[in-house]
Formats: sequence, structure tokens, C-alpha cells
Amino acid sequence: MNAPVELKERFHQVELEPKDYRDGVASFWCPGCGHNGVLTSLLRALSEIGVDPQNLVSISGIGCSSRLPYFVRSYKMHTLHGRAGPVATGAQLARPDLAVVVTGGDGDGFSIGGGHMPHMARKNVNMTYILMDNHVYGLTKGQASPTSQRVMKAATTPYGGLEEPLDPILYMLTYGATFVGQAFAGNVKLASQLIKEGMEHKGFAFINLLSHCPSFNEIDTAKTFKSSCEQLDVGHDVTDVSVAIQVVQQAKKDGRMPTGLLYKVQRPTLDERMAELVQRVGGHKDYDLRKVIDLARP
Amino acid sequence: MNKNDLIIRIGGEGGEGIISVGDMITQACARAGLDVYTFKTFPAEIKGGYAMYQVRASTEPVYNQGDIFDVLCVFNGEAYELNKARLKPGNAFVYDSPGDFEPVIPEGVFAYPIPMTKTAKELNNPRAKNMVAMGALSILFNIPEAALREVIDTKFKRRGDAVVQGNLTAFERGRELALALKKTDPWIIGTPKESKRDVIVMSGNNAIGLGALIAGLEFFAAYPITPATEIAIYVSKHLPKRGGTLIQAEDEIAAISQVLGASYAGKKSMTSTSGPGLSLMSEMLGMAFMSETPCVVADVQRGGPSTGLPTKHEQSDLFLAVHGAHGDSGRIVLSVENVHDCIGLTVTAFNLAEKYQCPVILLSDGSLAFSTQSVPYPNPDDYPTVDRLRWDGQGEYHRYELTESGISPMADPGTPNGMHIATGLEHNPAGMPSYTGENHEIMQGKRFRKLNTVVNDMPPAEVDGEGAADVGVIAWGSTIGVVREALQRLRAEGIKVKGFYPKLLNPLPVQQFEDFGATCKRIVLPEVNFQGQLAHFVRAETTLRPVSYTICSGMPFTPEMIVNRVKEMLA
Repeated sequence: MNAPVELKERFHQVELEPKDYRDGVASFWCPGCGHNGVLTSLLRALSEIGVDPQNLVSISGIGCSSRLPYFVRSYKMHTLHGRAGPVATGAQLARPDLAVVVTGGDGDGFSIGGGHMPHMARKNVNMTYILMDNHVYGLTKGQASPTSQRVMKAATTPYGGLEEPLDPILYMLTYGATFVGQAFAGNVKLASQLIKEGMEHKGFAFINLLSHCPSFNEIDTAKTFKSSCEQLDVGHDVTDVSVAIQVVQQAKKDGRMPTGLLYKVQRPTLDERMAELVQRVGGHKDYDLRKVIDLARP
Repeated sequence: MNKNDLIIRIGGEGGEGIISVGDMITQACARAGLDVYTFKTFPAEIKGGYAMYQVRASTEPVYNQGDIFDVLCVFNGEAYELNKARLKPGNAFVYDSPGDFEPVIPEGVFAYPIPMTKTAKELNNPRAKNMVAMGALSILFNIPEAALREVIDTKFKRRGDAVVQGNLTAFERGRELALALKKTDPWIIGTPKESKRDVIVMSGNNAIGLGALIAGLEFFAAYPITPATEIAIYVSKHLPKRGGTLIQAEDEIAAISQVLGASYAGKKSMTSTSGPGLSLMSEMLGMAFMSETPCVVADVQRGGPSTGLPTKHEQSDLFLAVHGAHGDSGRIVLSVENVHDCIGLTVTAFNLAEKYQCPVILLSDGSLAFSTQSVPYPNPDDYPTVDRLRWDGQGEYHRYELTESGISPMADPGTPNGMHIATGLEHNPAGMPSYTGENHEIMQGKRFRKLNTVVNDMPPAEVDGEGAADVGVIAWGSTIGVVREALQRLRAEGIKVKGFYPKLLNPLPVQQFEDFGATCKRIVLPEVNFQGQLAHFVRAETTLRPVSYTICSGMPFTPEMIVNRVKEMLA
């Protein structure tokens, strides 16, 4: 196990412009895609944090959004559909000295990868998960996703859908994430602020960025997202999960989506607890294996 | 008469201390310097049901669980009913009497009724029924008494002197009861040639855990599954002592994903599972091959398909291990014969994964998982370990640089100028997505080229016997140990036989198979699965045409079965 370098010690080590975090690979997203806003916000946040790109690991699954790591200067993994979370969990736990960011879409995270979401949250894996939530499957050219509005007509729902959408924010609050925020991807100021705070947060940070898909989602446009987003009150209590849940549910009734930092608390992270466990058993890499083998003597 | 090789089977209801007695006899025999090999069956349910523990103890090396018992000890009627048909003239039969059954003693069977339940109740210690039985067994069959007393002390001392004493009293009563009986059978456990050998006694599952620690395991993730869970239990206990990291995953997909993430981050990583879990891991194993990320998967095979026979023995995951992923996806597959292999080949699995940057699947099986065996004390320094090739920092870094061997240096996150992407998309040497046909052919060639030299990293498959043979037997996994003994018996009868015991099953060491085949008139390939999975690969990849001998009864082969099959082939 690596010496527990405080992640924060990795920050403010370099002074780089947002563009310095941009890999040379050309974006493959459609013109006008909300994901460009996510990328811009991320690059800005990285610059403000001042993390050395070589200590950053960017991990994704499959989908339009999951191409994002190609556009970021960092170590990175482009993994399987739905599996970015557990891959990132492994990388983070193995190397707590690295800054780990996961990006992925609503289908990737809450449909095929839905079984992993509770566990990253409850385990409080010290990483940042950015959901690029465009309420549609884009890479497969327009099918209903778990966050699609029921009335959305898509390739597999030509007469409108049958299912109610889920709300990623409500799930993450319930699953025990220690940092939950939401923003419209076009609001780079707020989105980058949340990503920055999420990365600085010690624990599992979940940020839902509402990102419009101009090609396959005709009802959740930049305009509708922008108009239904409502910034949280200045006095919102970020430490009370029931308040956060109430706010989201009330906003939903009103047809609005709350944006800003909904919830933030401190709890020991998984890697901290692991390090504490190792310390408790007196563990170190030179521990004499013979002591373990001796236990099997008859 | 001393019998240098004695098999004692103990049967009863799960929870009656069957496993404890078996373990203690095993420990005592090993302490006394005997070679031991145990075999257990237990129900898939938690409470109740028939549990069986068989100890084979010998002054000679023991390779398998044996044909059948010499001594049967039953604690209840169910155990009697399940075993009575196997009682043969010459067997010794120890049973609870008065008990919940009235056995019919077959002619020629030496019967010893012992009031196990009654005595334990009289001692106000009903749970010590098993100790009464063990005391009786120790007298009847000369199981080393001093060693047994030590083992009782070791096992119970943390629960206090009163518990130790209670068990010793019951043990002593059992001895007295047996002493009062006239011994009529000839069975006596052999006297070891050398009294103090430096051994450990371990199950296959624990030994895989130990092998991983010796190999330098740093990260472990797994999801509970029978019969592989004990690997996770062992690693969970001991990996933190080595400063390693572990996680219980939410499912097997997460487990292998976490392993890949940790391996990418530079750590030696492993998961353990059984068939259903390996099925779920298939897609990520393809990614491991594509992204050239080292990982080790220990698969303890159980009866399938689907949920199948979760606690039973089978060797039926070979197809899945070799080919279980979409697209052309390569991996290395090793298989273990015994507990000794579980240690050494697990180290080899890590070394190959690190060297070739690909998945390595280590196949064990349901009976080996729980079989405890005495093995020479493993000196951790005797196992060379290999670390992945890491980039030297010179020039421009291309993660998937084309090389003659196909092996390209890796760079851990944090390495200056080593930034790269590990991706499941087809990519060029720099890691950038590339879908051209030309690139795909080059990169597939690179990834598969690595596997060409794996055969050189392993000792050649063992050939058991010399010269020409009328029948050659090819075996894999724990079936090898059964074949070893069968061939000894056949040779004693003057039959010319040879064995071939491959432990690298993918890529198949084709030339070694050919060389072996050239010395045998006929070849039989026994394996515990329905389809004859290794026989299928041997026919596909070599010119050999083995006769497939398959069983899938949930039990391993016995030496006798192999002997008979070989004789049939010669008839």
C-alpha cells in the first residue's frame, strides 16, 4: 500500500491554464452538445485545483460522455459500459494518492451500471463522479434512458415511453454519498465550481450535470434545462440529508430542478478506513510471511 | 497388522462436530509425520444435512482421496443409510449405539458399537459426542494419542481450561470404551518413517491465498461464492498484515473491474470466484486482454451449468476459462493438481500475468477447495517473483509500442511523461482509437504474439513413466493425483502405462502432447465433466485422438475407476 499521501497535497502543485489540461484529441461530440460544457467546466476546475495531470486518473465507461477522458491530459481508462465506477474504485483504493474522476452518462451509470452506484456512495470511495445526464442514449442514436421523461419519443419509444424516469440526485442522497451537487452543463461557472469542490471534498462526490443532447432529445433542450434549473437558496443547509431530499422532491413537484451544492458531510473514506485497518493489524509490506505460514503447521 | 495407508470416513449430521474430528485426526497424523489427504462433502444448506469427512493417512506420499474407506465411523442413521452399501468385508465399522438406528452388520465387517451420544450426555457435555468417537478411534486404529491431545488443547484452549478439560474427559471416556472392546480387525495406522517432517496442513483454497501472498499480492477484490469463498476469507485475514488492500465487491463484475483498476494503478491484483462468477467476468477479461492489464482470477470450479451443484466437485469451466469472452480474446489458463500446486502455481499465475500483461485464470476445483493436505513447509524465498516491465522514462512513451515479443512497457499513474489511456477500444500503439483493418490485424497480432512464449516459462508437463506404453493417460486438475496412483497399481500388475499431466492448459503445449502421444498406443483422458472439455481441445489442437472418459457425479474419480478403464481398453 502506498504511503497515504493526502490528496490535497497533490493539489496546487502546478499552475496550468484550463487549456493545458486539454489533450490534443479532437472532440467527437456533435456541435451544440451539452457535453462540451462539461469538458470546459472540468478543465477549468482542474486548473483551479492545480492538480498535476500525471497524478490525475480519468476513468469512463461507454457512451458519448464516456469519451471525455480522451480529451483530458491525465492517466486514463476507457472501460466497459457501466463499469467505470468499480474500475475507478479499484484504482483509487490501490492508490489513494491519485485524484480520480469518473465521467459517464445516465444510461452508463444508472441503467447498466446501476448496481454499482450504491456501493461507491456507501463505501465513500474518495473520488468524483460526474454524471453527464442528457436523458437519452446518444451513442446508439436515441433510445430512452433511465432518466428520459416518459413522454419522450425515441427510437425504441416511438409512441412515447411507458416508464417514469429516476432522479440520480435522489438516489445518491439516499445511497449515502457525502457530496451531492447538480448544475446545468451550460452553466460553466456553477458546474466548474461544483467539480472543484467535489474534487476537494474528501469522500465520494457525485455531481449531476444536466447536459442537453441536440441530436436525439428534442424535449430536454438547453433552453428547457436552463429554464427549469433553479439555484438553491443561499441559506440551504448542506449538512442535512432530509432537507436535501425534501428540496429535490418539492422542486420536482414544481417542475423544477434544484442546482448548486445540495449536500456535503464528512465521513471517513474507504481508503482511510483501510489504512486504519492495516495500521491496527501492524501491517507493512515487509511483514514476515513465515508468521502467516506458521499458522498452518499441524 | 500395520496398514501403511489407512482411510477413515466419518459421517453424521452437519453441526455434530464431524469436521472438527476430521480436522483433529488430520492434524495429529500430520504432526506425527504421516502424509495426509482429506476429502469432505457437505450440504449446500447451513444447518443439518449429511456431512462427511474422510482422512487418508499414510507413511507413503498420498496423491488422492483413495477408492473407498477402510474404516467407517457414523454418528447417526442418515450417515449409516448413505454409506451402508459401501461397507465391504474387511472394513471396520464404528457407530453410535444406542443411536437412532439399528445397523445390520454385513458378514466380514468388524463392528464396534460405541455409546457416543449416551456417554456425552452422561458427562453433561452432549456436544462432546465427537470427542467420545475420536477417543474410540484413537484406540482402535492407533491414531497418535499424544498428538491428538495436543491438538485438542490447541483447538480449545482459547475457550478456557474447562472446555479443554471437558473435551479431554470425553476423549478419555471414548478410549476406555474402545479398550473394553475386543479388536478384531487388522487396521492400524502406520508408523511414520521420520517422525518430524517440516510440513504445513492446508486446504486448496487457503493455499491459493497463501500463494497469492507469496507472489506479492497487493490488491484483492472478490464476491462471496461457494466453493471459492475461503480464498477471500484467508486473504482478508492476512493481506492487511502485508499492507495490502482488499474490498468485498458488490458482484463479480465489480470485483474484476476493481482488480483492473488497481492493476492499472500499478498493483499486483487478483480476484477469486467460481463458475457463475467467472461467467460474469467474461466481458472484463476481454478488456484486460485488450487493454493489456495484468490480472489473476482463481476459479474454483463447481458443478454446473447455472446454479448447478454448488458444493460438488466438477472440472467443467475449461471451455469458459479458455474462450469465455466475445471477440478473439486470449488469456493464460493454468490448472492445479493439489494443495502444493495451489501455492506454487498461484505464484506462477501472478508472474505470467505480470510478464505478459494479460489475464491469467487459475483453475482449481470443488474437492481440492476443501481438501486439506500435508505439504512441505513452503519457504517464501524459494519462489521467484516477477514484476511487470515498466517504462524507463526514455524518449516518447507509447503504451502499446510494437515489440518483437509483443510486450510493451507499462507506466504507473504518477510516472512523469507516461500519461496514456488503457482502453477497450481498438487502438494504435499510442493508445488512440483506431478502427482500420490494418491496425486491428497488427494489434491483435501483437497481443496474441505475447502468448507464444508462455510455454517456455513453465516446466514441461510431467510425464509419469518411461518408454513405450500400451495406454497413456492424460489428466488435469485434481484428477492427476488419482491417475498417479492408478498407474502405480497398473504397473504393479505388469501393464505398460504412462501419464501426462499438463498444468498449462492455454496456450496448450502442443508439442509436449505430441511427444507424449508418440510413445503411447492408445490414450484415455479422464475428466470430471460431461462434454470432455480437455479432450475437445486436445483433438482440436493436436493430432492425438484420446478416448474421452467423463463422469459428472459430483465426485472425483477414484484410482480404481481409472485402473478398470485402462484394463477395459486393453481387453
